[in-house]
Amino acid sequence: MSEFCPKEFDDVQFREVDDMKFLNSLVLRVLVAVGFLFAVQPTIAHHSFAGFSNDEVKEFMGTIKEFQFRNPHVWIQILTTNSEGQEEEWSLEWGSPNQLGRRGIRPATFPPGTEVTVRTRPMINGSPAGAFVGAKFANGTIVGLWED
Amino acid sequence: MMVTLRHTHNFLRSIPTASTLLVGLGLIILLLPKADYAQEGDSLPDWSGVWAMNGGTVFDRATVEGQGGSNTPGVREHPPYNAEYEVKYVRNLQLRDDGLFPDPLSFCGIPSGFPRIMNLPDVYEFAVTPKQVWIMAENGPGILRIYTDGREHPDPEMMWPTHTGDSVGHWEGDTLVFDTVSLHSSEEGRTIIDRTGLYLSDAAHIVTRMRKLDEATIEAQMTIEDNKALRDLWVVTKTYRKLGEGTRVYDYACAGNNRNPVDVENNRTLILGPDGEILNSDIDR
Repeated sequence: MSEFCPKEFDDVQFREVDDMKFLNSLVLRVLVAVGFLFAVQPTIAHHSFAGFSNDEVKEFMGTIKEFQFRNPHVWIQILTTNSEGQEEEWSLEWGSPNQLGRRGIRPATFPPGTEVTVRTRPMINGSPAGAFVGAKFANGTIVGLWED
Repeated sequence: MMVTLRHTHNFLRSIPTASTLLVGLGLIILLLPKADYAQEGDSLPDWSGVWAMNGGTVFDRATVEGQGGSNTPGVREHPPYNAEYEVKYVRNLQLRDDGLFPDPLSFCGIPSGFPRIMNLPDVYEFAVTPKQVWIMAENGPGILRIYTDGREHPDPEMMWPTHTGDSVGHWEGDTLVFDTVSLHSSEEGRTIIDRTGLYLSDAAHIVTRMRKLDEATIEAQMTIEDNKALRDLWVVTKTYRKLGEGTRVYDYACAGNNRNPVDVENNRTLILGPDGEILNSDIDR
């Protein structure tokens, strides 16, 4: 089991996550490519992304609260601490689970309770939400687009 | 003994003759001109598998202007619109740029309709049966039924506009040719062709020719006639690539977790937080 997966996901139904061995460079490349696809081509989305910034990419660290792997779009809920020291919940929107599932993303890709650093194109009005760009886990695993 | 041997000899001698006849017969069958596919389905083309549209969701990539997708400000297409519909399209483009052109699909449950069903993300299945062909889009609800059993369009009093209209078709060799009428007008906001705001009227009449270019590619060429909106025929070609063996298609419960409902009052798409609060409470663009 990948080390970032908490125990509750250590179940046979998530064996494919283990099998994928996220650190495998090929899978990483695929995931990066998927992220790139979604990051640069929001046209495949269910709706207009007009509320999200096209210019700014925000990076922050937080703890995964929930991965809503449901249609029409998946949402990654992240708990973080804002600049005023208060806990804040961010909602990061990505593609449809159907598309993502065919490209290697799984319901267990964002295990609740796991710390992660994320990048997002945030909402223009400053609300704690954005279009998902990429994520980097403590063990180096990258999901989506992540260019150093 | 001699008789037996002679009979055996004659029998053996006849084998090459029979083989030659069979081979010859086989060659004749192979060289016969390919007949039109029978409606009975004994030789319908194999379009099985899971397919995905090539390119993004800009409908007419041959006339696209600007870089990006159908949501990207500045991107537009150039259908042969008459002056009236060009003005309408330009208005839609501006609304799109302002984030005030909600997609009817965001209501969840509204069919994509035709011809937009040929222009969707996610994947497709093309079910060829003896009397109907079904184009099934995963991004749904999206099914286009094409009757190939020889029927005509219904009488006018039996046709009322719908999202997918009425499609009847036939096979010309391995090409499916179908004719679609009785479509909703885009005028009432019920349907669009893509998110740039492409429009058609209720006079749209579309003839589609669909065929397999090779084992991994299906092409659909749509010739659109619309005497209210277009000054000329508008021909758009889409292609679809076959995905790997074993690819699964899933249901698409759009309303299952729709955090982007349409705010009808303000004509825009909302972004909801985890508890349902509206995050884009002001005009963001």
